[in-house]
Amino acid sequence: MRQNTLFLVLGTAFGLVLSRGGATDYDIIQRMFLLESFQLYGILGTAVLVTGLGLRWMEARGRRAGGAPLAIRSKPFNRGTVAGSLLFGVGWSMTGMCPGPVLVNIGEGKLYALPAFAGVLVGTWLVGRSYDRLRGPLGLPPAAERDG
Amino acid sequence: MLLLNQLTPLPWWLAGSAIAVITLTLLWTTGRRLGISTGYENLCALVSDQPYFKRSGLHGPGAWRLPFLAGLLLGGLLSALLGGGWHPSWALGLWDQSIGAGPLAKSLWMFAGGLMIGVGTRIAGGCTSGHGVFGVAHLEKASWLAMLCFLASGMLTTFVVHRLIF
Repeated sequence: MRQNTLFLVLGTAFGLVLSRGGATDYDIIQRMFLLESFQLYGILGTAVLVTGLGLRWMEARGRRAGGAPLAIRSKPFNRGTVAGSLLFGVGWSMTGMCPGPVLVNIGEGKLYALPAFAGVLVGTWLVGRSYDRLRGPLGLPPAAERDG
Repeated sequence: MLLLNQLTPLPWWLAGSAIAVITLTLLWTTGRRLGISTGYENLCALVSDQPYFKRSGLHGPGAWRLPFLAGLLLGGLLSALLGGGWHPSWALGLWDQSIGAGPLAKSLWMFAGGLMIGVGTRIAGGCTSGHGVFGVAHLEKASWLAMLCFLASGMLTTFVVHRLIF
């Protein structure tokens, strides 16, 4: 229960930053893709740099809060990495949202984010439903080994 | 470039640092790796009987993304309320200027885009958060390639939509 509160608080903070940083703004996303706005490249670059430094420190230490061991599982590389990413890029451009900002946009009161949300859910369900058939051609790991 | 309610965006270095602090706090305190798109699997798991969504990783402690996703909704709501008020709207800047269709066409457009986000991120194994922020910072090969593909394909799509067709 206490942890759920922490997840809620961190999610809220993340939503606030995405909203006020411009990551939920259709025009800023389009201008990023047109190389007319540096804003989101600056945000991503800073987030990656600072996170990377923090990860190096934590991995060198090998422990996290309370002395618990730190275990970071890297994401698998397969044919789906390229195919899925190219498809996601089209969706990111069309909606001006990635999966987090879909929800933040709904919170902000942007009504067109509701059909986008429905689309993400249906897309997720479709892949889950066909996962065993997609695995071979795309080289994906067994479902049980996926993130959860 | 203004946001909702004509707000000025936070400086990029501040927003980027804040995202890093949130990502590192999540890992430091709970051992969880930032990643949002899998949260849509947690949502499917609430109602679907498909074996894929029944796997143990999405249930029990694996349902942690549900409160995190609820927080994203709340964060957007707070951002609007604290920044000039919550005003539900269909307005979509550049899209309205160049494509200019009504709410039905806009909804279909958004649904189609959302579908590609859902299918794409599930096949790619992550999105801008899990691959783009965490994986790239963690120097993972899949994540670097994924992020380059996200951007290349987004650039091409925006160019085709806003510079060629409309």
